[in-house]
Amino acid sequence: MNAMSNLVPATAPVVQPRVTRRTLAKQQTREKVLQAARRLFCERGYEAATIRDIAAAAGMSTGAVFASFSDKSELFDEIVADDCRAMVAPMKAAALAGASVEEALLGLFSVAHRYQVEQLPLVQAGMAVSWTRSKAGESDLRSAILPIMTLLNDVLRKGVDRGELSQQADLQLLSGILWDVYIAGYRRAVFDDWSAEELTEGLAARMRLILDGSRAR
Amino acid sequence: MGVRHTQKAATREKVVSAARDLFHEIGYEETTIRAIAERAGVSVGSVFTTFSSKADVLSQVMADRIQPLHDELMRVIPYLRGSTADRLCSLFAVHYEYECRRVNLFLAHIAASFSPNLEATTIPFGQNELFQTMILDMLQDGVTRGDVRPDADLILALDSLMAVYSWNYRLAARNGADAKTLTDIMDRQIHLLVDGLRHRPSAAMAL
Repeated sequence: MNAMSNLVPATAPVVQPRVTRRTLAKQQTREKVLQAARRLFCERGYEAATIRDIAAAAGMSTGAVFASFSDKSELFDEIVADDCRAMVAPMKAAALAGASVEEALLGLFSVAHRYQVEQLPLVQAGMAVSWTRSKAGESDLRSAILPIMTLLNDVLRKGVDRGELSQQADLQLLSGILWDVYIAGYRRAVFDDWSAEELTEGLAARMRLILDGSRAR
Repeated sequence: MGVRHTQKAATREKVVSAARDLFHEIGYEETTIRAIAERAGVSVGSVFTTFSSKADVLSQVMADRIQPLHDELMRVIPYLRGSTADRLCSLFAVHYEYECRRVNLFLAHIAASFSPNLEATTIPFGQNELFQTMILDMLQDGVTRGDVRPDADLILALDSLMAVYSWNYRLAARNGADAKTLTDIMDRQIHLLVDGLRHRPSAAMAL
């Protein structure tokens, strides 16, 4: 179900002496709610999945859900943030394996493509709500995306160091454009049924064009 | 034109105008069909004889906004001078300036285009061929002007321009960025993208 599970190193739960049974139970409730919510958002989309349905799917009361999350949007943001956190390490590994700036970028984006096409309804919901998101939710999400943006910047910086990209290249601007074009690609996956491979190929063509203006000459 | 037809057109007009104001003032999500009917001074039932859903109303509101924007663009285009990038900057600036007057409408429009239950009658954001053709023509003219290389993939360039253009609206959604802020960042993005159309990838890359 989770395309990433085989890529993320499994970590044993660290039980510290100070963690009481109550906090553990709370943690487990949270996990259960998140899992049920992820499944329902995927199956029905964001609007159609109600907190009540999510509670029922998790086998608990609506009140218990609200003890962990203040509303549906917080729940949704937490899922998206979880995904971002899960993707960073394999994206980084893929970037390191690339011999050129282009290969490294394609490597890291293809990891994301493969991960996200498995849960397109969730991606679609994420894109729909990102226009009406609360400020708090937006900043949570931004901090979750930050490691990915940093990785993107690092890869570009390395491209400059290796002499592939111009010293004058505006890396901040460049990574922003790459991110926008990457995100916009999911529209093709949603409406034109593009596969992960097609998404990566489409991005590759656009990326060449985007990098062309910043190449070292 | 029959009386019934005229009446229907009048209702449509009233509903679209009321919805436009409400979507802008209190937001798309918060606006109910009932509130639209009330503001328009018609019954909820008669809204549904003309529109299939709230999304359909939004789609019609946006469709009605295309012509005035198109007119503004057509007024500006004959006066554009300078490089292809400069011309594109002016074109997108008109878009931002226009949409930011009622930015909530536009944000709802983009959000709706990702809705899992798009209806056949709705025209999702980003599918307007008229505007896309305008940009493509401008890029094409760049080949004649000599600042776009003849073998550049203009469709890909258009696609990338549209991607950054629309995602810049996140700044408006997130922290209320105005047209000027959006235009400033778009200007830099356009120059970077169009730079890539001008230069041939350097020979060093082939090594």
